[in-house]
Amino acid sequence: MPTQKEMICMRMNQIVRELNDNTNCMYWVQSHYSRYVLLNQIKSKIEELHFINNLICIENEQMLRDRLQELPNQREFTLAELAEYDGKNSRPAYVSVEQIVYDVTNNATWAAATHFGLSAGKDLTNEFNACHEGQAILNKLKVVGKLV
Amino acid sequence: MDGLLSVCHGYEAKQRIVRNLIDKVMDEINEGTLLKKNLIWLELTGCSGNIISLLNGANPDFKYLMTKMANLVYSNSLMTAEGEDAVSHLVNVMNTDFILAVEGAVATKNNGLYNVIGKWRGEPLTALKAVKMLGEKAQHVMAIGACATHGGVSAAHPNPAKCVSVQSVLKRKVIKLPGCPCHPDWFMGTLAEILLYDAPKLDAKDRPVLFYSTLIHDRCPRRSFFDKGIFAKKLGDHTCMFKLGCRGPVTRTDCPVRQWNKYVNWPVEDDTPCIGCAQFGFPDLMEPFISYDTTRKERE
Ligand code: SF4
Repeated sequence: MPTQKEMICMRMNQIVRELNDNTNCMYWVQSHYSRYVLLNQIKSKIEELHFINNLICIENEQMLRDRLQELPNQREFTLAELAEYDGKNSRPAYVSVEQIVYDVTNNATWAAATHFGLSAGKDLTNEFNACHEGQAILNKLKVVGKLV
Repeated sequence: MDGLLSVCHGYEAKQRIVRNLIDKVMDEINEGTLLKKNLIWLELTGCSGNIISLLNGANPDFKYLMTKMANLVYSNSLMTAEGEDAVSHLVNVMNTDFILAVEGAVATKNNGLYNVIGKWRGEPLTALKAVKMLGEKAQHVMAIGACATHGGVSAAHPNPAKCVSVQSVLKRKVIKLPGCPCHPDWFMGTLAEILLYDAPKLDAKDRPVLFYSTLIHDRCPRRSFFDKGIFAKKLGDHTCMFKLGCRGPVTRTDCPVRQWNKYVNWPVEDDTPCIGCAQFGFPDLMEPFISYDTTRKERE
């Protein structure tokens, strides 16, 4: 009986093989409809890889957060200090989630330092958990310190 | 740019796909393997922008679509009948196979009395009642534009008529074509997909993947400026408008390749940031549409 990790590994390898096959097919298929079907298959396989990756990253992300909390020499922000990093007038845009302060200045979803009605310079723990719970996306952001 | 696009097969295919789908519908209708369906276009709380956008369709045009592909039984903006005579078309279609297209949000305040779309047997027919009545019987329900798909502008704060999406009042699958307005191709292509294959492939938010699968940001001609951090400081600069508040990175449509007004142009190419009109929660969650104070240097 393979372990859970081995099963994930096998499935990932299988998806990669299928992706390779599909991409090879794309080179010789002429009809737009068949290309469209192939593209859809590729897309759903990428989504599956993303899903599996998410499962792995969620565990890692929690570990990462715990580790960050304990790291020495982190820049410390009070809420008032964080509020200065609102992305206006060429200032960077920072937000905090669960006491960790992240830089979203050049994050594509934070155009003009705003994101779905939210603005930078704030603690957005509740908002983050309401919309993105279970998504391993924070590890893509640069950490700039912790909230005290 | 034109040179590059003209050699890209994906781009060419995108331009032709709606036409190809519709030609296939036409072939099958002519061969008798496919029957024309009745189509109802219901306008609720909104600005009629979607029907106007549809009238601007080019490939094929509106007349072709509505005479050859479907029987347009009801559209309050376009039909000649009026009063109870017009409403009788809605009532009579109930016992046939029909597709329901809805633009505009559903006003729910005072049991729907904030939007009365007609009269039937002397009684006011509210939009709420009409959409429930027709929505339960229709073979397919399509919500067209921002207001119908998620409330849109009609449901923006403070939402005085308590407008909601079509989905909120129906317990069945509603195909959603967000956009303010919806592109004529998105509607015509989806209708053709329904006629041919019954169920178009939808994403997790019930949008047809054919038109809504890719982020604007991923196909934007200004993407290389974003990647290099070269940002426009004001409208009219020909670089990436991220710092002005462009919502291309959170909005999924094919505007960069399909373009608007008979495939002439689209907002970013005309130096206007994307305002996320096809994103759920527009307009409130996509505001501010433009910000000038992000790149300006602080005074010494
Ligand atoms: S203009 Fe908008 S969509 Fe285009 S690259 Fe910049 S942020 Fe992305």
